[in-house]
Amino acid sequence: MALYDGSITGTFLKRRGGAARRDMAFQSNQFMTRSIDRADPAQGIEGVLLSNRDRIIRFLQVRGAGESAEDLFQDLWMRLTERATGPIADPLSYAMRAANNLMLDRYRSARQREIRDKAWGETSDGHEPSAEASLISRQQLEQVQAAIAATGERPAHIFRRFRVDGASQRDIAQEMGLSLSTIEADLRKVYAALAALRRQFDAG
Amino acid sequence: MPVDANPVEARAIDWLIRQRDPDFDDWEGFADWLAENGEHAAVYDALASLDRDLDVLPRGSGAVRIAPAFPPGSPVSRRPSRRAWFGGAMAAALVAVIGVSTLNPFSNGTRIETAAGEHRTVALADGSRIEINGGSVVEIDPDRPRFARLESGEAMFHVVHRDKDPFVVETGDARIVDLGTAFNVVRRARQTSVAVSEGIVLYNPDRDKVRLVAGQAIDAGDDDRRPPAVRSVDLTSIGGWRSGLLVYNDAPLALVAEDLKRTAGIDVRIAPAAASLSFRGALIIDPDRNRTVADLAALSGTMAKRQDNGWILTR
Repeated sequence: MALYDGSITGTFLKRRGGAARRDMAFQSNQFMTRSIDRADPAQGIEGVLLSNRDRIIRFLQVRGAGESAEDLFQDLWMRLTERATGPIADPLSYAMRAANNLMLDRYRSARQREIRDKAWGETSDGHEPSAEASLISRQQLEQVQAAIAATGERPAHIFRRFRVDGASQRDIAQEMGLSLSTIEADLRKVYAALAALRRQFDAG
Repeated sequence: MPVDANPVEARAIDWLIRQRDPDFDDWEGFADWLAENGEHAAVYDALASLDRDLDVLPRGSGAVRIAPAFPPGSPVSRRPSRRAWFGGAMAAALVAVIGVSTLNPFSNGTRIETAAGEHRTVALADGSRIEINGGSVVEIDPDRPRFARLESGEAMFHVVHRDKDPFVVETGDARIVDLGTAFNVVRRARQTSVAVSEGIVLYNPDRDKVRLVAGQAIDAGDDDRRPPAVRSVDLTSIGGWRSGLLVYNDAPLALVAEDLKRTAGIDVRIAPAAASLSFRGALIIDPDRNRTVADLAALSGTMAKRQDNGWILTR
């Protein structure tokens, strides 16, 4: 974090002189508190987006956005400020996670288009993928499940607790009487099997 | 046998696992890793995307029952890509019985023989279906719509229930009397394997009295004196040959080779030094045979070399 703190404010001011007032505002805790008191729930996340603009743009760039990073920052802005949110413990992490999800959504939309174009080319069954259509077929999902099962009973169970039930690694370690490192190793093992399967999906 | 992810994938996996923690906050570290190499984002995206697709996995036992892939009578393609999710109601309380056969001389039978790697689905008049793997022989008889014989090879049976008219499958000297269920049968040299994906099967009720429920399987040798032991199998892997997925839990390599020959027409021989190795894992039949064999070699710790029209696995 400290690595970027110096440069952010500087470039920020240069690039967006007009927003200097806001930037100043977030260097003052007092002002920020008042903003929130004025019952503007978006102000909190807006402030975080503004004061971390360069950091987020850099993240979008390395995340694959390239030159569109600036535009995507605007998309992210819309996403986060239009949505009513409750109190957020760590707003920067929240924004970064949202940026990460934005990029994943873009990747998935692009893949969806590819798959649909391909399916049309094959004049297939007339089914169209729905908006939130899964990118893998039911058949592939069956293969995923079989691949998970094939890693062994314990890793498969740990993976289900972690990925399907949403249990934390710590909780799983506790309920199974295993060390955290064992849980982690088993999770890695299952994900590695899925990665291998995914390569085969691509090849097929 | 563990599958090794390549180093970049391994790192991407680490990030995925860590990011599932709601308290994860090392986004700078993640950005640094992405910045190391332009390829990293693509690898991460591919895995994160597959990971997101897992959102549809049902909570709880984790076991998913395979619904009949197609309603009876619908056209069947070998590699369907978009089926209705878990569509189709499960037939309730299905019971099948496997019994000792009486010889049934064939008068008017139709013999269906598939070449290695050729899959064929036969729709019967009553709506039942037989999916026949490659390298197999199945005999049906138009005069006996509720009967089939698996002479050799492998087939998956989806049988429509009729209370008073059980479906009969014969194989070897065993008779499978089926009251509406789905199960896979393999007839190897002097051995019959049955795996049940729906319903209940009674194996040789007069002799062995083995009861199989969905998710259970037996391997019965013709010369066995004792009833076969029941083992658990993953429901999703039963009849996996139909979708090009073979799943093994410590199976001898020779058996895997036999399945590859039948399912995909791939000739794989096992060198004597590798004969004692067993295979554990999921093998996908890839259109590129080299790839399938390379996967098998990598997953079993062997080396694949070309030999004649096929491959040989050595240590």
